[in-house]
Amino acid sequence: MTTSVASRASTRTRRRTVETSTGWKRYRARTFYGFISPWLLGFVLLTLFPLGYALWLSLTNYDGLTGRYHYVGARNYTDILNDHDALHALTRTGIYTAITVPAGIILGLALAVLVNRPIRGRPAFRAFLYLPAVVPIVGSALCFKLLFNSDFGMLNNILGWFGISSIDWLADPTVFWVMVAMTLWGVGSTMIISLSGLQGIPQELQEAARVDGANAWQVFRRITLPLLSPIILFEVITGVIFAVQAFIPALLLSVQSASTTVTSVPQSNYLYMIHVYAQYFAYGRFGYASALLWVLFALILILTLIIFKATAGAVFYESGPDEQVARRREQSR
Amino acid sequence: MAAQLNRRRFLSGVAGAAGVAALGSACGSSSGRTTLTIMGNTPAEITDQDVAEFEAKHPDVKIKFVTVTTTLLTAMFAAGNPPDVVRDQGVPNTPYLVGRDLALNLDPYFAKSTVLAPDKLAQVNDTWRYDGKVQGQGPRYGLAKDYSQDAMVWCNTKVFDDAGVDPPSTTDPMSYDEMLDLGKRLTKRSGAKYTRYGVNPPFDVSLTAGFLNMVASSGGSIFNDDFSKVDFSAPEPRAALEWYLKYATAKVGPTVSRPFPAGAWPTFDGNQLGMLGFGYWFSGEIATDPKIQGTMRFIPAPQFGSTRVSPCFSATGHWIPKKAKHKDEAWAFFEHYFGGPPATRRAESGWGLPGITTLNAKLPRGKPYQKQALDVQDKEFSHYSVLKFSPYISVTAIDASLSQELVKGLDGGLSAGKLADAINGTLNPLLQLGKELIT
Repeated sequence: MTTSVASRASTRTRRRTVETSTGWKRYRARTFYGFISPWLLGFVLLTLFPLGYALWLSLTNYDGLTGRYHYVGARNYTDILNDHDALHALTRTGIYTAITVPAGIILGLALAVLVNRPIRGRPAFRAFLYLPAVVPIVGSALCFKLLFNSDFGMLNNILGWFGISSIDWLADPTVFWVMVAMTLWGVGSTMIISLSGLQGIPQELQEAARVDGANAWQVFRRITLPLLSPIILFEVITGVIFAVQAFIPALLLSVQSASTTVTSVPQSNYLYMIHVYAQYFAYGRFGYASALLWVLFALILILTLIIFKATAGAVFYESGPDEQVARRREQSR
Repeated sequence: MAAQLNRRRFLSGVAGAAGVAALGSACGSSSGRTTLTIMGNTPAEITDQDVAEFEAKHPDVKIKFVTVTTTLLTAMFAAGNPPDVVRDQGVPNTPYLVGRDLALNLDPYFAKSTVLAPDKLAQVNDTWRYDGKVQGQGPRYGLAKDYSQDAMVWCNTKVFDDAGVDPPSTTDPMSYDEMLDLGKRLTKRSGAKYTRYGVNPPFDVSLTAGFLNMVASSGGSIFNDDFSKVDFSAPEPRAALEWYLKYATAKVGPTVSRPFPAGAWPTFDGNQLGMLGFGYWFSGEIATDPKIQGTMRFIPAPQFGSTRVSPCFSATGHWIPKKAKHKDEAWAFFEHYFGGPPATRRAESGWGLPGITTLNAKLPRGKPYQKQALDVQDKEFSHYSVLKFSPYISVTAIDASLSQELVKGLDGGLSAGKLADAINGTLNPLLQLGKELIT
């Protein structure tokens, strides 16, 4: 009874406010849509429309240049199953993802723990470690190519001092590890996210654990890690999405010349998106390449769902089951 | 009276300003100059001077450049707004462009032109002709700004002297095997580190053209009679693949899986490469580096099979799309660029042989290396030949397939036969698709 009276009073007050308000406040709904319309427009034109257009293209044999093209049904999708290069690219992408995502998260977290400690020059360490993440990837790739160049790279010169024979770092199979190293070079961005997570953990929980006799490892394992789990889940999901779409590192690390094309990328770095790009712009198979992209889109959705399901019991959201039950009880009253 | 800027007045002002701007823009396009959109390389190939002269001669036309990329060209065609002039290579692309009904038949313009009368055009411009079946016959669809016989070779005699090896003859062509043998003797490396490369065979303009040249010399073809299929398993293409694998295994020069770390020009200019498979056009680059001019020697194209051939791989020039909005202005640009002062300046620079025969006299001969190169070039003209391409597939796709399979083959130690099967397996479905689309 009390609640309904209060609710009526609140509605009356709100109506009066609307009646008496001036300017934008008179048109709340229209103002809302007005403000979000640029995003909505962008979403429709730059996301929904291209998705739909790519879906349509994936059902045709369009070559990107010829005006005439035909509907081919699901042929492009069934062709993927027989495309050894697509399956090879998918495998390489899987290996790249399986290495760089966990390594990036572990390295980022380790660095975050280090720069979270009260040490002298901490801001400078944080800045130095984060710096590679803000260097444009083209710059990083150029540095890596110079470093690993077989003829005049620093690494082969150092090997030469010790009488060790030069290695062709930018060719198969070593170039894959150069790409992994280049990806992990930008681990500063993961470090920053983990650091913000670490700083959100209440100190009193860690202090209480120490008072109870826990050592540093136990505090990290029993307190820090569970409280960081939502952050780590975020890093895993965004990391996987980023890694399966990786394209630029592989392309930039390949030594291009007039007689080579995107398909000359060494086989160990022949990632899925390289294959997609080659189908679009080297082979002119716009329909098939669009089908490959839709398969990737579906794959990312499935991977994300699997990760959510697999980590459901391992991620601690602070509002645990007890709080959720209490909230439900509150709502039912 | 102090005017108060409230929201309504502000919005009215903005709307008014936008209206005035739109009106101004509309007036500008209706009464202003025509914009001629050129997909071309500027200022490297179409210089500021070329543009200024054209705009001075045609004050009602303004030139706008867009970057030369297949991606952009595709997007512009898809949007129904192609450029008015497009840079391209006539040798590999004319059948493909004409087959897709993209290029404008320029015969009516040639018929009226005195500047670009067909009898003034060098033979290479025939690569821009296609009658639907044979390249080199039928209507003209474009013009070459300049050209070279791209399988010819430049030698750096300092590298030969350092290695104690005699340079090859300037009159008789060497065989591909002799070229490989010389490359082995010139190369100096330790592990993966090269201090001297032997040879960069003529594959740099296009991997496909490089192979077609070798196959043509053996009297074969990679295509069947109607260009709807490839067969790399046939004896001649297979022999060419075998030679490439042999060359790659010898580690005497760049390959698709291991290109020059610093590029071909710097390596050659830096006295780290003995033989460079570039055509006459490279004399323009040599002219920019006086240090190496005394050690340059131009030699005939090496011979793979029993027939001596020396084709042009590219015939780089321009074409006008059928759907171009300013065709007459585009032709006016053609007459200026291909037949006017820009063509003369290009000939004088030595960056390629001119597309107009009368301009041959303008080629530079002042320095010993220039004279030597032209003497060899003059004799090479008689071996000029034309490579044949299919209308059903782009050269980019053939390059991509060759490149991809060769990388796999070199890394995985595949035989030429397996490589040939893999290339056939990639290219024949693409040819089939192309045939479906244009017939």
